[in-house]
Order: sequence, then structure tokens, then C-alpha cells
Amino acid sequence: MAQAERIAADAVVIGSGAGGGPAAAALAEAGLEVVVLEAGARVASSDFVPDEALSRARLGRISVCTDGLQSFYAGSCVGGSTVVNDALCWRPPAEVLEAWRREHALGAAADALPAYAERIWRDVHAEPTDDAHRNRNAEALRRGAARLGWANESMPRNVRGCANLGRCNFGCPTGAKQSSLVAWVPRAERAGARVLADVRALHLRVEAGRARGVLATRLDPRTREPVAPLQVDAPLVLVAAGALESGPLLRRSGIDDARAGRGFQAHSSAYVTARFPEPIHAYFGPTMAHAVSEFSDVNGHAGPGYMLENTAVHPMQTAAVLPGFGAPHARAMAALPHLAHAVVVLRDRTRGSVVSGEDPASPRIDYALEAPDLERMRHAFANAARLYLASGAVEVWLPLEGYGPVRSERDLARLPEAPLDRSRLSLLYAVHLFGGANMDGRRAQGVCDPEGACWNVAGLFVADASSLPGNTGVNPQITVMAHALRVAEAALARRRG
Amino acid sequence: VSARDGALHARSARDLEGLDRRGFLRLIAVAAAAGALPLACSRAPLGVAAPPGLRFLSARAWAVLNAAAARITGPPGAALIAAGRVDPALHADAFLAGAPSLAAPLAQALLALEFAIWPLVGKLRPFTGLAPEAQDAVLSELAESRIETKRRIFMGVRSVALMGFYASPEARALVRYPMGAADPAATIADAMVPAADERAYHGASREEP
Repeated sequence: MAQAERIAADAVVIGSGAGGGPAAAALAEAGLEVVVLEAGARVASSDFVPDEALSRARLGRISVCTDGLQSFYAGSCVGGSTVVNDALCWRPPAEVLEAWRREHALGAAADALPAYAERIWRDVHAEPTDDAHRNRNAEALRRGAARLGWANESMPRNVRGCANLGRCNFGCPTGAKQSSLVAWVPRAERAGARVLADVRALHLRVEAGRARGVLATRLDPRTREPVAPLQVDAPLVLVAAGALESGPLLRRSGIDDARAGRGFQAHSSAYVTARFPEPIHAYFGPTMAHAVSEFSDVNGHAGPGYMLENTAVHPMQTAAVLPGFGAPHARAMAALPHLAHAVVVLRDRTRGSVVSGEDPASPRIDYALEAPDLERMRHAFANAARLYLASGAVEVWLPLEGYGPVRSERDLARLPEAPLDRSRLSLLYAVHLFGGANMDGRRAQGVCDPEGACWNVAGLFVADASSLPGNTGVNPQITVMAHALRVAEAALARRRG
Repeated sequence: VSARDGALHARSARDLEGLDRRGFLRLIAVAAAAGALPLACSRAPLGVAAPPGLRFLSARAWAVLNAAAARITGPPGAALIAAGRVDPALHADAFLAGAPSLAAPLAQALLALEFAIWPLVGKLRPFTGLAPEAQDAVLSELAESRIETKRRIFMGVRSVALMGFYASPEARALVRYPMGAADPAATIADAMVPAADERAYHGASREEP
């Protein structure tokens, strides 16, 4: 390999998404010379295109777990997953913070996080979704829940002047969505941070128990192949590469082999699709805006632990979700303008692990939803179908191969009594990913201490969802941003001594 | 069917009868390690020319995926694919750039679909050489199989075939998807709840109709 290009800085931040963006901005605004390494490309808002295939390939990465039965999608571009998410904003639930206190000795973190969340709420302009942004897709979900008497609510979003384009998942072309690309990265750059896109961190440099920087490689923007080594020398390293990459990076750097990569958790998700007599046109308007919280186990609810949220209908994803093949599948797809989607956002109890694969860009994910979670998923499918039937849907498709459309409550009797078989789910995926470098107040139990600092390495912090001790039960971007800001401020305080 | 394909096919026939999941995976691994699969399976079937520039799919995998897509997407899809107006496998190859970890298992699944023998449904030839009805029977058998590995093959090929197909503008037009269309069939206004229909929306818990 050629002689490595070397850069020196006060701090290096790995990742530019919900964790890396706020962390980099906080460090740079405190006067530090900051370098941000982002493995994905930098794509300007004006270059985002209304193309499902191109956007997904250019802005994100799909990984599959080792048994091939669940996929995991994460943003891979400057701004990370915030570029392709649905802009949904939830504060960290009190029940989750209580579990941090009780199970992970994280009382100080739990006490401090809400104030950081309020700062983030203002900074990313989280606002209620008003009537001007209410589409028929969200209304279909709301109406069904209301008719059944189920708790439901519109979800705040971090947008400024949303034009209802329906392109949240393809990158917002107007910059209305206050993603990290729009809200945090420019702030960091205005304060002097250097953001290097197409650079993958390979190894953390540690000497005598202190962080010294990062060994990385520049990637060919087209092929994503490594093309030139890069070394960043910095006494402060913040890892925020996302839950699929932060734990593996620590582990392959020899930091806490016993725990790094373990404790990985998700909100496993699957779609339920409904066909209505009238057109829904669920490709336009906010991609997500309304939630049924009746079955949640946070924010004062005592349900089994899942949310139902409306989500956009685009052809590629819809085709993969609808079960079956051939003429029946084509007929269902032909009804696309009349379709509505609800996504089940399950608060998994399952834990797994994520470690480096042969290729650092392709982690090895061991994650197999356990029977109680699959039983709750079955419960969620049935309730989503009931909701849509109450809302006026003609038929509802569950994402189960070999299971015909549901047209009445009687059809739900065909649902197997046993927990679902994952290999019969047409699409099981997750985008909310947590753990792998978890904080814990007890040194023997966590990779990081309650401030996100690695117990074993001075000057090394983990500032993304991977250092959260578990899932949040709600869309997590506000929690992750708040956590990252808190970790960055802790790093600054320790630097000042 | 070439002689090389035929030899591999015969071997597959013996090995795949009554196969369990572990045995199936072992067979694929052994064949790949022996070099048999890459040699025999990378070429496109006779008379079929793969497009240049494929990054992740071999010519054979491209052909198998398009053959499967023609059945999976239903009659409108089959017509577009047969006319050469949509190339789902080419779109899938581009899509795999964002999902490189899918490339190897997909290749294995396509090889299995092409070369495995399932006598009970009359699959005695490569998938690409079967009549459409026979291809449908093979896909149904995979979808409904008691063997989890077979179902995984079906699910993997099905998902990629569908996503590759609906990545094309022609397929999107088929389902009247307006986003990015030159002459969209619907506008943003069509998707929004009219002001006249607006009721209390925020905090709409437990509202009766």
C-alpha cells in the first residue's frame, strides 16, 4: 500500500449522521480543529432525484443478517440515515430512561438527556405535522384507529417548509428536512470542521491506552473500492458510524473484544398493505406522519410494545412487500394508487451481535427474532388488518407468503396460532438500530461509561445509537442526536481537564 | 443445455433429491470450492447475450434472474421483459451496489434455481430452458416447500426480481406511479386531504367516527 496521506486535527469524528453531525458541530463550535470521516458520498440536496432505485443505491446500504432472513438499511452518505429517514421526531420516552437507570446504572445519563433533547428539538426545528401536511395515507391510518377507539397521534417532523413531495426517503431536494446534511454538517463546517466524504475508517489507533487517531482509506466514489490510505492523527476520537459499523470498528481495533459488537438490537419492521376503493396516492405528502400508539409500551402506554405508523407507497418496496407472484401479484400492484401502507415498528426484546465481516463495509450480523417477538409481530399484523378494514379498506395484505388477502375478521382466523415463521415473511427489515458499544455505569458490563467514553481507552468516545443500551420504542433520531451532543460536551469537558 | 451444464445438472439431480437445508448449502459450497460452479455457471445460456458492464451478476445469473422475473412479475411484466423493454436483472445489478452483501447469496440462489433438479414438478432442465408453465410450477414448489432453504431461494429471487423490475420507468408506468414520470397521472394535491374534510387532527386519540 502506498504511503498514507496524513492529517492532524484536535478531534476526528467518524460518521456524519444523527450522531456524528451534532457531535462534530459541538466540537467545532467549541474551537477544536475537527475532521469528519464519512464512508458515503456527499450528495447535495439539489442533486437528489425522485428515483427509488437510484436513491437507495446511492444514499444507503442494505445489509442482511447471517441467516438471510432480515435486512437492515442505513444511510451511507454525508448526513447518514437522517438523509433517508422520514423526519419523525419523538422525545426519549420516560420508560426507556427509567430502564437505563434501573438496568444499566445510567442514572446521570437518563437525568441529563431530556434537556439535550429539548435543545435538539429546537435546533432541528421539530414541529407538529399540521393539516397542510396531512395526506390520505396518514388519514387512512388515523380514521381506522379512531373508529376502533385506539390511541393515535400525528407525529412531529423536523422540517422547514415541507412541500409534500413524498421524497423523504430519496433525499429531500428542497432542503426542507432538517437532516444532518442540512442542519449539522453546515454548522460544523462554518465552525471550521473538514468533512471528508468517501473515506472509510478501518482501524482506531490506540497507544498506551490513549486514542491517537484513525487509519482509514479513501474510496473510489464510483466503485466504492479502497484507493488510497489516509491517517488522521488526533488525541480525541468520536465514533459515530452507526450501529452496524461502530461496534465492529471498535472490535477490529482490539478495543473490548469481550463486549464490542454485542447487545445489538433493532426495531424490527414489516409492512401491512391495504387497498381502498378510492385513490390514496400514498407516494405524495409526508412519507410518514401518523402513528397508532395503542400497542406501544412507552409514553404512558402499557401495550405489547409496537407502533403502527403510516408509510409511503413506492413501487420497488411495495412489490417486495406484497406476497405471492405472477398474475395475482401484478393485479395487486396495478392498484398502486389505491394502496396504503402501515409499518409495524416492533420494540424488539431480541438481542444479537454485529462484528466485522471480511469486508469492513459488510458487517456480520447475527440477529434472529425470538419467538416472543415473532408472536408480537403476529399480533401487530392482525391489528393492522383490523385497523384498515375499519378504515374502509377493501382488502389487506399481510407480508406473509402463502397467506391470501384479508377481507374480513374471519380471514384473520387463518393466521397461524404459533409465532410467525421468519422464512415466510415477504420482507422483514429494520432501520432503527442500536447497541454494539453500549454504555453502562458498571465497567464490567459496558463498552462505554455513562458519558459515552470507552472504559478502556482514554480519548475515545462513542456518540451514536451504538452506545445506547437498547432500543427506544419510538423513532430514535432525536434521542440519538441528544445523546451525541451530550457525549461531545462530555468529551470537551474531559479535554479541558 | 451444454455438455458441461448437463454434467453439472446430473450431479445436481442426484445430490438435490430429498435434500435438507444443511446438505443443500454444503453442496453449493463444495461445488463452488471445486470450481465447478464458476466455470459452468457464469456463462449465459446458449443464444442469450448478457449486456456489457454487469458488476455483480454473471451472465448466467443475469439470464436466470430475468427468466424468473418474467414469471414473478406476471403477464404485464413478462411482456415487457420479452420485448426487451425492461431488463430487471440489469437494474438489480445496479441496485446491488447499495447492497453488496446480497450479491453472493443471490448468486447462489440463482444457481440453485437454474441447475437444481426437482423431479416432482418436472424440473429436469435448467430453469432458463423450461416452458413458462413449468417455470411457474418450479417457483410455486419453492415458495411452498417445507424445506426452509428452498423458501429462502424463492424469497431472495422474488424480492430482487420484483425490485429490479419496478426500478424501471416502464414498469412504474404500468402501475401509474407518477413520481418522476414525464406525464404524471396524479399530483401532490390528489394525495392530500382536502381542507373541507379536515377534522380535529392533532392528538386525535379515541375519536369516534
